[in-house]
Amino acid sequence: MTGRGLNRIQSPTIDWVAILVYLALVVIGWFNIFAAVHDDAGLSSFSISSRYGMQLIWMGITMCVAVVIMLLDERFYHMFAYPAYFIGVGVLLLVLIAGKEVNGAKAWIEISPSLSLQPGEFAKFTTALAVARYMSRYSFSITDFRELVSLAVIMGIPPIIIVLQKDAGSALVYTSFLLMLYREGLNGWVPVFFFAFVALFFTSIVMEPLTVLILIILACVIGESVRNGFWKQKIIYLAALALATIIIYFILSLITGGQVSVYLILLICSILSLVAVVVYAYRKRLRNVYMFVALFLVSIIFAPSVDYVFDNIVQPHQRDRILVVVSDEVDLKKEGYNYNQSLIAIGSGGFAGKGFLQGTQTQFNFVPEQSTDFIFCTVGEEWGFLGSTIVVSLFCILILRLMKMGERQRDPFGRVYCYSVAGIFFMHTAINIGMTIGIVPVIGIPLPFFSYGGSSFLAFSILFFVALRLDAGKRELMRT
Amino acid sequence: MKVPRSVVLQIFVIAVFAIIIVRLFYLQMIDNTYKQNANNNVLRYEVQNPPRGEIFDRNGEYIVQSKEVYDLMMIPKDVKEFDTLLLCSIVGEPIEDIRIKIDKAKRHSWRQGQVILEQLPKEVKIKLDERSFPGFYTVYRTLRSYPRKIAGNLLGYIGKADQRALDRDPYYKSGDYIGKTGIELAFEDILRGDKGVKINMVDVHGVVKGSYANGMYDTLAKPGTAITCTIDAELQAFAEELFEGKVGSIVAIEPSTGEILLSHSSPSYDPDEMVGREVNKNFPRLNSDPRKPFFNRAVMSVYPPGSVFKIVNGLIGLEEGVLKPEYKYPCARGYTGGRGVACHNHTSPLNLTDAIKSSCNAYFCYVLKNVLENRKYGSVKDGFDVWEKYVRSFGFGRKLDSDFPEERNGMVPTRELYDKNYRGSWNAFTVISLSIGQGELGVSPLQMANLSATIANRGYYYIPHVVKKIHDRDSIDARFYEPHYTMVDPKHFEPMVEGMWRAVHRPEGTAQIAEVPGLDICGKTGTAQNPHGADHSTFLCFAPRDNPKIAISVYVEHGRWGGTSAAPIASLIVEKYLTGKISRPELVEYVKNMQIAYPYYDRQRTK
Repeated sequence: MTGRGLNRIQSPTIDWVAILVYLALVVIGWFNIFAAVHDDAGLSSFSISSRYGMQLIWMGITMCVAVVIMLLDERFYHMFAYPAYFIGVGVLLLVLIAGKEVNGAKAWIEISPSLSLQPGEFAKFTTALAVARYMSRYSFSITDFRELVSLAVIMGIPPIIIVLQKDAGSALVYTSFLLMLYREGLNGWVPVFFFAFVALFFTSIVMEPLTVLILIILACVIGESVRNGFWKQKIIYLAALALATIIIYFILSLITGGQVSVYLILLICSILSLVAVVVYAYRKRLRNVYMFVALFLVSIIFAPSVDYVFDNIVQPHQRDRILVVVSDEVDLKKEGYNYNQSLIAIGSGGFAGKGFLQGTQTQFNFVPEQSTDFIFCTVGEEWGFLGSTIVVSLFCILILRLMKMGERQRDPFGRVYCYSVAGIFFMHTAINIGMTIGIVPVIGIPLPFFSYGGSSFLAFSILFFVALRLDAGKRELMRT
Repeated sequence: MKVPRSVVLQIFVIAVFAIIIVRLFYLQMIDNTYKQNANNNVLRYEVQNPPRGEIFDRNGEYIVQSKEVYDLMMIPKDVKEFDTLLLCSIVGEPIEDIRIKIDKAKRHSWRQGQVILEQLPKEVKIKLDERSFPGFYTVYRTLRSYPRKIAGNLLGYIGKADQRALDRDPYYKSGDYIGKTGIELAFEDILRGDKGVKINMVDVHGVVKGSYANGMYDTLAKPGTAITCTIDAELQAFAEELFEGKVGSIVAIEPSTGEILLSHSSPSYDPDEMVGREVNKNFPRLNSDPRKPFFNRAVMSVYPPGSVFKIVNGLIGLEEGVLKPEYKYPCARGYTGGRGVACHNHTSPLNLTDAIKSSCNAYFCYVLKNVLENRKYGSVKDGFDVWEKYVRSFGFGRKLDSDFPEERNGMVPTRELYDKNYRGSWNAFTVISLSIGQGELGVSPLQMANLSATIANRGYYYIPHVVKKIHDRDSIDARFYEPHYTMVDPKHFEPMVEGMWRAVHRPEGTAQIAEVPGLDICGKTGTAQNPHGADHSTFLCFAPRDNPKIAISVYVEHGRWGGTSAAPIASLIVEKYLTGKISRPELVEYVKNMQIAYPYYDRQRTK
């Protein structure tokens, strides 16, 4: 469209806004690591072997890698996708056998005593490439069930290995592909059910079984009515169900003279009532009612099993982390310690914060894991609401920018990849910051570019720069 | 679908980040508890104890000093392996005791500094500093020390503040010391000083990392203000020596100012016994002593005034006009009216001054009867009201409002009391023993000394007090500078002073033993009957006769006649105070060797 040639890779083709946001996050992130690790000796004792020094070295390595990424042809990534994926899975399996254990997770591979890598961080990148490659096939259709199963296998293998490495938090990040799948036209009900079941999970932990059951019945009935109408019948149905429960309750109370579980009666009544529901669906020829029946059955099995799983299968420390967020009865000196100290650090920051290196929670190590998972506490305490908002906004801009890059892509490969990266960044940011401010259970995943750790810093940067490279490439083509 | 999915996703992402920002806004801008919690985490307030104010005697000699001591503290976490034996030999404690204390501290808290040993002397602290014991450190405190070991009850003692003090005044924290009795209690606010505070920042392990805000909010401890009291330490020490083995009290006042020159209650205690680590042993022993060394008899004991009170009745008679100095009354070894009052053998009849000199009982029975039956008041009861008012104007029956806390009211009977006791039917004969200071009268030695000062001043007194100067103030309370006149005109005092002079200097005087040539001592003996045993010996005197410098009241419990035990002590004190030396060593020996039995107290001891 302009007179510029195809071969000239020029600066205007690169998304400088994204680069600036990235650099801003990297610089702010480094200063916060410095604040979190530094001792009272001050700047004079600058040491390259300390964490901020190490991070600086990793940043140097990353910049070299970034230059290489930007210089490679974008077709390379398309070609490289499957081999990379298999190498990634291979290394993950290797770690499972010969890895090093840190904080209970066998997720590390030791290259030298001072240098360990976490292959799981890079597996997100290779998986994103493989998924993009698979979904950019000409014959691919998101509505095809068999294609979806294949896709699930590609996306599922790395997190399963990671779970086996006992790093459940990192595995959870793979649910972020849902964001990209939705964009690519996945049935809209999938994310809705996903969130519904997440909500049901927490509700089942907090609320009584009877309350949960009533909520499930109401949700299914209202959902079905929204789709199909016939509100009058639904009200009659609910009234009949309630009446039947009450009558049976009284009869059974009179007969046994003892205690009768309302929950069991209502459960049995509602299951029996499904016969009437099926007859209703058959007569009205409403096929989607069967979906709600299935949903109901899954829910009433899911809800009690949550309690069972929660009490018997979930590890005690993970149970504590969930309880800390949803319950009030928590010992802030024991299981609630991290949660509480993190809130104190951020809450005491006030509007403008206590100032660089002035945070008392940060400088005197009240928050555990502060340079890694809880790095956002430093931002909150030393830079206050102002600084926190700026950082959160920068992340938001970066993610929106990545989504915009995806929209700019011509072929699905780039779009799928960019949306995958956006999803991964979104998941990490929302969960990590969410846990430091006490709205999400403690899940040990890093905050991109902020948390100390070479592997994650390099991996996030690679994710970002490959997206940037694909974006630049597409824009070049558009100019021809 | 109308809305493109990319837009739905954008809205979703923005919504999630908006929730995060709203939550941050709530945490950082609205909820204030976290700021407080952060301070609780990091700030440690280290109290700096001020040294307590010292106390000087009237001549500038130390009677209470502050001695620096150190509490040995330990933080279990920081303790490295150390030579327990060496530590024990430095502090002089058995190794088992130290081990027990260290174990106890470890169980209590791993990270907090805790007291291992209290009140170590400075020498020990220096030795501890020479060697290094990681995890151990010392904390400064001040204790009392008493160079002369005198005036225990007057000065009072300090002890750990009890729960009531902690609740009443936020100044005190658990483990702080507070004045419990005497001057230490009365002047607590002045002596204690102001605490300072040093705000430190600690890390998550409780290790101090530096001062908060470069010490901007730290305050220095302000030492307690010193006090000069009115006591003459030399005289006080001498009085305590003389009272050794006896139960009783002596109070001496400078009449021209109301300053208390000495105040001793016997038995007393060595004030150093109430200091330091021995207190726990000493206090129960002293407190259970049946002779009650903690009972400050000089102000708390209430005795009958005895014959000394005749002076008061004489003065009232003169003022009321029912008595003239030249009036003579007969005494045939007693007063015959009513149930009668016995008297000793002396010349008869006597005029007023000689009646004082010889302490004639009958004479003052006539005087009191005339006061009560004065026609102008209509009835004996109305006359009694007038008499009561006079007596109270001498400072009896109420607290004198002195500056130390244990004062008692004493007792002056009222018309209502007799109406109650005698169901309304009583007359002058019923209360006739008041004339010689017996019956329903109760006075404290301080009130008696004040009477002595009033007579010395010929009609007025200054409120007796023990503090002469508070070192950061120009003057003490205004009430101590104000003369208090009795209801008796000063012109009537001279015959009484003459009588008191004669009691010491003339034949048939009851207190000739007190005479010191050239000092012009004026005195009046008393023999107070009491229900506990032998009579109390009391003596009241001042000297010299003109421009008196010292007025004294002495009580020796169960010391029999005023002349036998109380008068010699008073005489020696006057001589010592006025001349600075003792010319009668044999009298000192006599007083010291005096044997007085205290069956009342000692019966309790054997119980």
